[in-house]
Amino acid sequence: MIESMNTAILIVSGLVALSIFSSLLSFRIGAPLLLVFLCVGLVAGENGLGRIKFDNVHAAYMIGSVALAIILFDSGFHTSLKTFRAALWPATALATGGVVVTTAVVAVPVHFLLDFGWLESALMGAILSSTDAAAVFFLLRVGGIHVRDRVRATLEVESGSNDPMAIFLTLALVGLLVSKGPVSPVAIGMEFVTKFGIGAAAGMFGGGLIVLAVNKMGFERGLQPLAALSLAMALFAATEEMHGSGFLAVYVAGLVAGNARINAPETMRRFQDGLTWLAQIVMFLTLGLLATPAEFPAFAWQSLAVAAVLIFVARPLAAWICLLPYGFSRNETAFVAWVGLRGSVSVLLAILPMLVGLPQGRDYFIVAFLVVLVSLSLQGWTIGAVARFLGQIVPKRIGPVERLELEIPGARHELVSYRIVADSLVARGQRLPRWAEPSLVVRDRKSYSAHAAKGLKPGDTVFLFARPERVPHLDRLFASAAPAAEADSRFFGDFALEPGAHMKDLALLYGLPVEPADHEMTAADWLVRELGHDPGIGDRVPLGEVELIVRGLSWNDHISEIGLAVEPTRIDAPRLPVFQTGTELKAMLKRWMRKRA
Amino acid sequence: MEITDLISPAAVIPNLRATSKKQALQDLAKKAAEITGLHERAIFDVLLERERLGTTGVGNGIAIPHGKLPAMERLYGLFARLEKPIAFESIDEQPVDLIFLLLAPESAGADHLKALARVSRLLRDKGVCEKLRGTDNADALYALLTESPASRAA
Repeated sequence: MIESMNTAILIVSGLVALSIFSSLLSFRIGAPLLLVFLCVGLVAGENGLGRIKFDNVHAAYMIGSVALAIILFDSGFHTSLKTFRAALWPATALATGGVVVTTAVVAVPVHFLLDFGWLESALMGAILSSTDAAAVFFLLRVGGIHVRDRVRATLEVESGSNDPMAIFLTLALVGLLVSKGPVSPVAIGMEFVTKFGIGAAAGMFGGGLIVLAVNKMGFERGLQPLAALSLAMALFAATEEMHGSGFLAVYVAGLVAGNARINAPETMRRFQDGLTWLAQIVMFLTLGLLATPAEFPAFAWQSLAVAAVLIFVARPLAAWICLLPYGFSRNETAFVAWVGLRGSVSVLLAILPMLVGLPQGRDYFIVAFLVVLVSLSLQGWTIGAVARFLGQIVPKRIGPVERLELEIPGARHELVSYRIVADSLVARGQRLPRWAEPSLVVRDRKSYSAHAAKGLKPGDTVFLFARPERVPHLDRLFASAAPAAEADSRFFGDFALEPGAHMKDLALLYGLPVEPADHEMTAADWLVRELGHDPGIGDRVPLGEVELIVRGLSWNDHISEIGLAVEPTRIDAPRLPVFQTGTELKAMLKRWMRKRA
Repeated sequence: MEITDLISPAAVIPNLRATSKKQALQDLAKKAAEITGLHERAIFDVLLERERLGTTGVGNGIAIPHGKLPAMERLYGLFARLEKPIAFESIDEQPVDLIFLLLAPESAGADHLKALARVSRLLRDKGVCEKLRGTDNADALYALLTESPASRAA
């Protein structure tokens, strides 16, 4: 008994450790990390080197569900309300309509290539219909690239919120296949409304409860994140018991908790980070172990074809249709279409047909697994290159910063420390803003007050209090100078304009076609109106021969710096002949009508 | 649009001595007045007005002040290499030591933008800037401005 226990501990911890170590390899060769975890599971499995036999679908489904709940709570927790609000409608369209479109389109190749019935094919489509929150989050955040705000926000919110929809659709289709009876669309519609209504309501209520518990109960510091987590898990289960969507509930609860003034947010965040990593690793390992590579060849080419349809037809179509009403540019839509990574959720859902004992249950799992492998490798590996190609990457404007942050319990400010670098702006005499008065300067291991230090010298470390949202502004002052690369300076335009500059002055000076009605507008107001959405850094609007570019945002998200490119930068020039915007479609229709007339 | 269309050897100042942005602009306006025959004050005012819309210090120690004047018959360029870098309220807050001044007639429209793009592209070339900083000979500076590959039309 004891011996077998030790063996089990050895195997489990060994696999987790192996996954963690292989993450180093992933960074080295740029392979998507989640793919690496999945492969560790495969290698350890019964056909791999490890020869571990694991075929307990019940256990796998339960482990996977718990892990997914943790991941969704965390992705909600890390999504700022600003991101959420900016992306709410396009992301909701993608998470609902997009899931349905993907399901329908993917069902076609499944039906013809795998000889599934139509309902079974739709189930396969639903299984593959959601993008993976973990994969998308990881690639957008940790991948070392800064993707422009609008698409980043949309993709993040979508990937967190489409899992509940895919799960709902899969469960509904499984239910249909099991019951075999006639089911009215009204019943499914009602089910949808109750599931998501209860899920969202429970999520908001539960999120509030979590904040209250963490802030008011006076737990030991180390227990705080655990309290939040256990409450989130309880919320998940309770919502499911009430026939609501537990996954939606934990995502919403995470969103509420992450955006509330919760105590010790850094501690919470760090704990969440670690736990989410663990959840990812465990989930991918479990799913990798459950798969049997010996079964793959029989489904190889069919799965490849399904993956191709999913990546090149279903997802682009879904992205295009869903984003059409929101005025996304062609490049933006193209990028959203490409970042439709499938991941653990699809594999997890593919366990369901086995779980309820559908005929061909195992086939769903094998096909889903292979499609996920293809998606993770193809899309995961190319995401940076594609983002660059589509002009969706914001180049870095500041050099490295030596900064440490320390949260202060119960305060909105945090303690920030910077080491002064020789070529930074402050070292060259730039003054700090009034709200960032240094409290302490450490020089040669001696501490001085800001007054006694008489200015800042390279090598000093300053400590100051600042609100977290203002830290990026400080970063600029303390960063070492990083001269902009040629391509980057083109991204932000040639000249700087004051946000308050009047359009009539610009029109006069550069001969721009500004409407007389807009003459009294400031450049910033004009940009915001022309963009039609919250401005993000790098957003640009062409005007005659020039382009106006959002160079910087203040801490409260107003445009603080505008760039002027005196020749077109072509950053936003459409790179693909597809994904026409609404205006372009209208123009095309008009041309076509004229031809016919 | 070529740099040679904008600037003559006489319009290159190899070692301008200025201590402030205002003084540099004043000195440049004076020199521009000599070349174009326009009023120094009018040129200076136009340049100041442009700076009010946003700094023309484009970063990396470079400034491209510019403006439009009604009484001009063509585009004029003026280049100055500063003896000591000065604060110019540049976007990267770096002090400026290379200035290319561009003046355009009121009617210039697209040519004005083309000329600005040309100058901006030339001075974005780090190699060119390094060489410009390395010499204080007016003829050599003129040659660098007009003969580097980046100064020819792309």
